[in-house]
Amino acid sequence: MGLLSDLRRVVGPGAVRADAALLDAYAQDAYTLAAVRPLAVVWPGRADEVAAVVRVLAHHGVPLVARGGGTSLSGGATPVAGGVVVHLSRLNRILQVDPVAGVAEVEPGVVNTWVSRAAAAAGLTYRPDPSSQQACTIGGNIGENAGGPHCLRYGVTLNHILMADVVWADGRQSRVGSLSGEVEGLDALSLLVGSEGTLGLITRAWVRLEPMAEASATVLAVFGTVDEASETVSGVIAAGIVPAALEMMDRLAVSAVERGQYRVGYPADLGAVLLVEVDGLAEQVEEDAARVQAIAAQHGVTHIQRAASEAERTLWWANRKTAFGAMGLISRNYYVQDGVIPRSRLPEALRAIEEVGRRHTIRIANVFHAGDGNLHPLLLYDGRDAAHVERVQEAGHEVLDVCLRLGGTVTGEHGIGVEKRADLARQLTAQEMAFHRAVKDAFDPRALLNPGKIFL
Amino acid sequence: MGPVDTSACVHCGLCLPSCPTYLVTGDESESPRGRVVLLNQLWSALDAGGSGDPSAVRAVDSCLDCRACEEVCPAHVPVGHAVEAFRARTVQAGHRRLPLSARQAARYFGTERGLRRFQRLAGWSQRPSGRAALRASARVGGTLGAAALLGAGLPNMEGSRLAHEGVRFGGEGPRVALFYGCVMDSVYQATAAHAADLLRLSGYRVVAAPGQACCGALHTHVGDTGQARAWARRNVSSFEAAGAEWVAATAAGCGAALKEYGHLLEDDAARQFQATVRDAAELVRFGQRPPLPSRSQVVAVHDACHLAHAQGIRQEVRDLVRWAGYTLVEWPDADVCCGSAGLYNLTHPTMAEALQQRKVASLPVAADVVATSNPGCLLQIQAGLRRAGRPTPVAHWVDLVWEALQDEGLV
Repeated sequence: MGLLSDLRRVVGPGAVRADAALLDAYAQDAYTLAAVRPLAVVWPGRADEVAAVVRVLAHHGVPLVARGGGTSLSGGATPVAGGVVVHLSRLNRILQVDPVAGVAEVEPGVVNTWVSRAAAAAGLTYRPDPSSQQACTIGGNIGENAGGPHCLRYGVTLNHILMADVVWADGRQSRVGSLSGEVEGLDALSLLVGSEGTLGLITRAWVRLEPMAEASATVLAVFGTVDEASETVSGVIAAGIVPAALEMMDRLAVSAVERGQYRVGYPADLGAVLLVEVDGLAEQVEEDAARVQAIAAQHGVTHIQRAASEAERTLWWANRKTAFGAMGLISRNYYVQDGVIPRSRLPEALRAIEEVGRRHTIRIANVFHAGDGNLHPLLLYDGRDAAHVERVQEAGHEVLDVCLRLGGTVTGEHGIGVEKRADLARQLTAQEMAFHRAVKDAFDPRALLNPGKIFL
Repeated sequence: MGPVDTSACVHCGLCLPSCPTYLVTGDESESPRGRVVLLNQLWSALDAGGSGDPSAVRAVDSCLDCRACEEVCPAHVPVGHAVEAFRARTVQAGHRRLPLSARQAARYFGTERGLRRFQRLAGWSQRPSGRAALRASARVGGTLGAAALLGAGLPNMEGSRLAHEGVRFGGEGPRVALFYGCVMDSVYQATAAHAADLLRLSGYRVVAAPGQACCGALHTHVGDTGQARAWARRNVSSFEAAGAEWVAATAAGCGAALKEYGHLLEDDAARQFQATVRDAAELVRFGQRPPLPSRSQVVAVHDACHLAHAQGIRQEVRDLVRWAGYTLVEWPDADVCCGSAGLYNLTHPTMAEALQQRKVASLPVAADVVATSNPGCLLQIQAGLRRAGRPTPVAHWVDLVWEALQDEGLV
């Protein structure tokens, strides 16, 4: 039998689409420098349908890419040529919120913010908060080991996943990890987190919920220069404060978000903005907020303000978290980089990145997690201009050169995807790359799960 | 490229979970981001003299035009407007006919005579003969069948006056004229008069604006901009002649359409008119008056798409209902479309029903009454609740607030 009819038998005729025109809607995720039209899209509705779909595809030797919100910034969810997209949007139930154990049992297509919304009544929250959290899904978060502004204090996705049900490359299923946190033998769950759908497909996950902080304070500080903002970041960390989040935006980035949906009303002549959030016990929060304000004052802050209400805090965060999408207001396309540098080298790194932009005549906006040195230079370009596209890719890799030269890494939280395969190979030793390949071969010997991602 | 610029879309995907059709199907070709891709493809096909891939046209047509995506888009990409522009162009180019329901709506809407005919039709649908006839056509499927299902949401259609005939004019303050709206005027026979009372109490002088027509929203949605423009011109001159400083709409769909007349007609008179349009919830203010005594009923607010997404109005309605003494209960996904969406529940009954069921299923058990601000939502949600066997009534917030005022002897 043909592939499509076999898939239709498994999931029903309405859950497979292969109309060429519609498949164009799936050719990209949020990384727009690659586009591949898939052979078909299939929507399993339950875990055993996922397993059956994987078996059918394995039988036909057809590769697959699992997809959730399609918000990957490195092409993790970009289809592979001749492959099928296994869309997990219909596995979108929150099955249980257990306030006593502090665990939510969710399907992979559940949107990140839905988890915290469901847990809010119990005073709990799901900590990882990638900026795309209004749309990205738990399955994708696990695949990319997603971070977010508040990972500075609370850790990345890996620290918040306790257990998962997995469909392996041959369609068999098992459960990895445990609710108690203890595992026998090698920790397969930790290996799966961040493997970008190349080792298995998650069909259910048990995620950790944590109590919301007793109090929090959000401080917005405006500086005339990026250097002063950077020095403030170093000053805050040196003072022993561990903020919940510590974010920076530069002038160009601010000019985009201020045209967008969530206007804060920043002064026009700023050099950089810091968004600092401290949380914890009420007394400690007051003290930390005061210290942050004093440190900013020492470094020439021109305007500083504490969020006066939850509504104001929400607006500031919405402004920050929609920064990537708002780039459409100042540029046809953008290419976001995701490099990490030691925090102490921040001013140096930003100057070097600016120089890369000048050399390639590419405008670069910066929006990033300053607290952990995770840079997100946004390289602005016009996708209709082939020469521009070539230049922006070169510039992107040079930005990562800067990070490596300063002792950093080529990715913080966006994954390798199709984008950074060459950069990863530059960072890792030949032996480490061989370990990667050996692991991939052990889990997926026929290279059917998201092949061509992470490494070639 | 089409006439509405969507080039600010950088494919970030933040719009996906805001889109009702994506929530139902999980299919990105039926999401805002997917539709931007498909529209680019379709415009290229049109430019090359073709009519576009039929499956792509269907995916674009399944857009409810609810504007939820436009509200959450970091770059305000006007997907709903782009979809409308595409429909208008293909109708104009003769690639398709207007849906039957739109052609029929033109017979009823826009004139007082037509509205009386519509009112009689609605009344007939509640009598045994009408019910039997509609049930028969429901079995066959199609527009009439969908209308029959929707008819279950109608209030009791006794009496034969149009709502605006009950309006009492007068009062002190800035001159405000009500925009009656076709379905509000013919089906919800008390709301216009209640809105006028609330406006007078809020310090306005309510004046008549005779000669007003249909707002044209339904026709714009399906691509009949010719009809929409003709009515829009009539509305602009009627309200100008009335000397109205403000135009108050009680139907979210009408208000949103009136607020876009500048774009529709592209002239100064329309732009001036547009600046005077407000939803009633923006004008009704009880300022210094103390809140009314608390009432036993618990109210759940459904945010009409064209109020919340298109006009950014959410809190005003809740504040007024609470001021009137009702207890509010938050409805999860209060601002996700109920499936009514103009003529959508007639043109796309399956999707409309899926959204109706979602909406009704999520209504908190504590709710005694549903309050909303648009006739389509009133009908759709009431019909859905009746089908689900729930007795909860659905009312315009204007009527709920008015009842509370009446109990206090204030109107």
